[in-house]
Amino acid sequence: MPFMKGFKKSNKKTKAAAPSQKLAAHEHDQISGNLEDTIAFINDLLGANMDLTVRRFHVFGKYQAVMYYFSNMINQTVVNTDILKPLMYIPPHLEGKNLEIQQLEEVLLNDTLYHSEAKMESQLSTLVEGILRGDTVVAIEGIKEALIIATRTIDKRGIDQPATEQVIRGPREGFIEMLGTNIGLLRYRLPSSDLRIESMEIGRRTKSKVAICYMEGITNPELVKEVNTRLAKIDIDAVLDSGYLEQFIEDNHLSPFPQVQYTERPDKIVANLLEGRVAILVDGSPLALVVPTVFNQFYQTVEDYTERFLMMSAVRLARLVALMFSLIFPSLYVSIISFNPELIPTEFAVAVAGGRAGVPFPAVIEVLIIEVSMEVLREATIRLPQQVGGALSIVGVLVVGQAAVAAGFASPITVVIIALTTIGSFATPAYNAALALRLLRFPLIMMAGTFGLYGVMIGLILIANHLLSLKSFGVPYLSPLVPGNFQGMKDLIIRGPLSWMKNRPSFLNPVDKVKVGDVTAGEARNGSDSAQTPSTNEKEKEG
Amino acid sequence: MEEQRQITVIQTAAILVSTIIGVGVLPLPLFAVRAGESAAPLVTLFGMAVASIGLVLITWLGMRFSNKTIIQYSEDIIGKWAARLGSLLIIVFFAVLTSLTAREFGEVVVTSVLKSTPVEVTVIVMLLLAAISTRNTITTFAYIHHFYFPLLLVPILLIAFLSFKNAEVINLQPIFGNDLKGIMMGTMTIAALFQGSFILTMVIPSMRKPEKAMLASFWGMLIAGGLYLLIVVAAVSVFGAEEIKNLLWPTLELAKATSLPANILERLDAAVLAVWVTAVFTTLLSSYFFTIYAITQLFRLADHKMFSFFLLPFVFIMAMLPQNIVQMYDIIENVGRIGLYITIGYPGLLFMISILRKKRGNQNGDESMDKIG
Repeated sequence: MPFMKGFKKSNKKTKAAAPSQKLAAHEHDQISGNLEDTIAFINDLLGANMDLTVRRFHVFGKYQAVMYYFSNMINQTVVNTDILKPLMYIPPHLEGKNLEIQQLEEVLLNDTLYHSEAKMESQLSTLVEGILRGDTVVAIEGIKEALIIATRTIDKRGIDQPATEQVIRGPREGFIEMLGTNIGLLRYRLPSSDLRIESMEIGRRTKSKVAICYMEGITNPELVKEVNTRLAKIDIDAVLDSGYLEQFIEDNHLSPFPQVQYTERPDKIVANLLEGRVAILVDGSPLALVVPTVFNQFYQTVEDYTERFLMMSAVRLARLVALMFSLIFPSLYVSIISFNPELIPTEFAVAVAGGRAGVPFPAVIEVLIIEVSMEVLREATIRLPQQVGGALSIVGVLVVGQAAVAAGFASPITVVIIALTTIGSFATPAYNAALALRLLRFPLIMMAGTFGLYGVMIGLILIANHLLSLKSFGVPYLSPLVPGNFQGMKDLIIRGPLSWMKNRPSFLNPVDKVKVGDVTAGEARNGSDSAQTPSTNEKEKEG
Repeated sequence: MEEQRQITVIQTAAILVSTIIGVGVLPLPLFAVRAGESAAPLVTLFGMAVASIGLVLITWLGMRFSNKTIIQYSEDIIGKWAARLGSLLIIVFFAVLTSLTAREFGEVVVTSVLKSTPVEVTVIVMLLLAAISTRNTITTFAYIHHFYFPLLLVPILLIAFLSFKNAEVINLQPIFGNDLKGIMMGTMTIAALFQGSFILTMVIPSMRKPEKAMLASFWGMLIAGGLYLLIVVAAVSVFGAEEIKNLLWPTLELAKATSLPANILERLDAAVLAVWVTAVFTTLLSSYFFTIYAITQLFRLADHKMFSFFLLPFVFIMAMLPQNIVQMYDIIENVGRIGLYITIGYPGLLFMISILRKKRGNQNGDESMDKIG
């Protein structure tokens, strides 16, 4: 995305011409009241589509009317029984009365239609957009407005377990593609009047609905404003996934590190909202974005908080080790083998040298070859059909690895190192962060090959400096480690008990800072200590 | 400028410590022993005292003019042209210091780890690393120092404590040494190793609470001096004064002599040197940053980033001027002593004149000072 700036400018010039040109030309045209005119207009725009249904009928048996909808986007039963039927039959209490054409409008909305989401609209372009969205439009001869009724029913998949973020202990729901369902899932977990969901349409052609969620009274208003400005600036043809938006609103396009977190778990979104972050949901994407994001979010999981703190602190430490492994293990190996073999114990050094005896390449080439083949294997496993995937990956990794060693192509230690690295990179919960570390491993290996440990350190310093200069929506990327914040450090390397973490993260500048009440933090377990102790129970029994 | 006031006291202290501690730690015991033999710890202590005077002076000055750097307030105190001359001297001095640090570490790497790599390569790599990293704001600069601070403590403490099992107390006696005159000279050499603390003059205007700068410099000096002392005591007590005179980098030898329990790593020196890259990097970053930041302010420019690569060839050529290690260390000692005039003498002069002429910082600075006082 580094060239985005250049592209943006050239895009703007063509803005007027691009989306639905015919519609744009008639943007301010009103409905005329002449039914045939309206029919001609809509047929001209949409008539060529086989799925457009045009149904002429008579309202209350006398007024000419027409109904438009896309037959595959609506619920046929609703249209038949709740719209068409009441429109054809005059309501019993109005029977026999002579309705003026002016009155008809009122009567239709207030007495006739059995549908809650109906409104009158006079703009022709709005009507067409409504049809395109899946609404049903009813135009009546002599009335200068048309009915637009929300009848959209798109088939959707059920709410599944989140595929990429599974937990052992914790909720099992994941977002689906439908924005409405996703918002429902959020509201269900957060029935608070403070939850604000603002909406925006992005994408000139796709007109994707984007929902910006935040907690009023917790989230810093400046942050919400910033998110809105950044989103409003996006001018793109299509937003097919939240990933499109991520690439426009992130701070540094060139950085390998993700500056926006994505998740498909409603509970994670709710937790983030309550910390004072802003969530962005896009219609059609099961992945919601969370901003601002700091690095430590990438190795935290939902389970860290649902399971007890001591165990999860240990698990989190293991995860951190895996994260470091996936970044530096191969480069450390290369530099020690080729530059400083005196560092490792002699017996081991002899074993390593024995293993490498038949290998013709220097360590760095050997590691690079195996690393690249591992990447190829990994990519292939994703693309493979599920039926053969498992079998083939076993063949790939086990057999090829074993054969490579037997053929004298690689040393056993190298295979061990690469295997550990690969497994380590899978232990990082966030796929996008693991991807960044996976990529950075290669320059580090090359640095190790040229300068040894010195080169590895130089590379790590460059990476660390980059991380330190990185910001996500103004929040330093490594907070709360740097700039230091004692409160935040309780949830950094270990996961402190929930009662320790009384405040929301201060780097998000939340309006309301306190998360856990004082009483809960201190005395939740003190009150009823003796309720079930054996002695009292026995006394009761005796008495 | 107001928005940028984000640096905390802890970060300032971290900047001081990681700037002071750098490649100078490697030959430190040698310098101290040459001057005072078994009185080496005493020499270090004296050097620390001298350096503290300088640090206190610049902290006082910085707090008096809490919105300005030394380049800016020196103009208020001694007039435009005299101050510009002084600033120019400071800039040149720090450019030289940058190049010497890079060269010294380049030599260390080439001598002990990458034996067949030309020294030019290691020097340019270090300088490039520093130059790239100076293209950040001063807040990020503070973050960088803060982040690497633990990496600097761990190897020193590890080496010092692991080597104490080989220590002989007899090596440290007599505590006061035999040669008083040598101690005086050595004090100046050691004090010169603390010159990095001058970076404080650039940091104070960006501190969130400049009135707490003294606290930061106290802690910075205490930690840095304490670590220096620890290294000297450890080296002298393990090797003895006479042995150290034959070692070029006694601290590195100390790392060689120690080994981790459970035989995880058989030798520590290469690993320590690798971790030490960060310490050298922070020192280099500070002096490089100081140089280009001072140039920007001297010419009253807004953006310091343009100078980071512009300066690179000059610094690199200066780094390549010494013919060999011996000549390099002669130059380092001489430059260090001259530097004392710039980093202690010049601020002292400024301080006295500012008191005589009753010059203070701007109104805001005064108010905040008064509130504290």
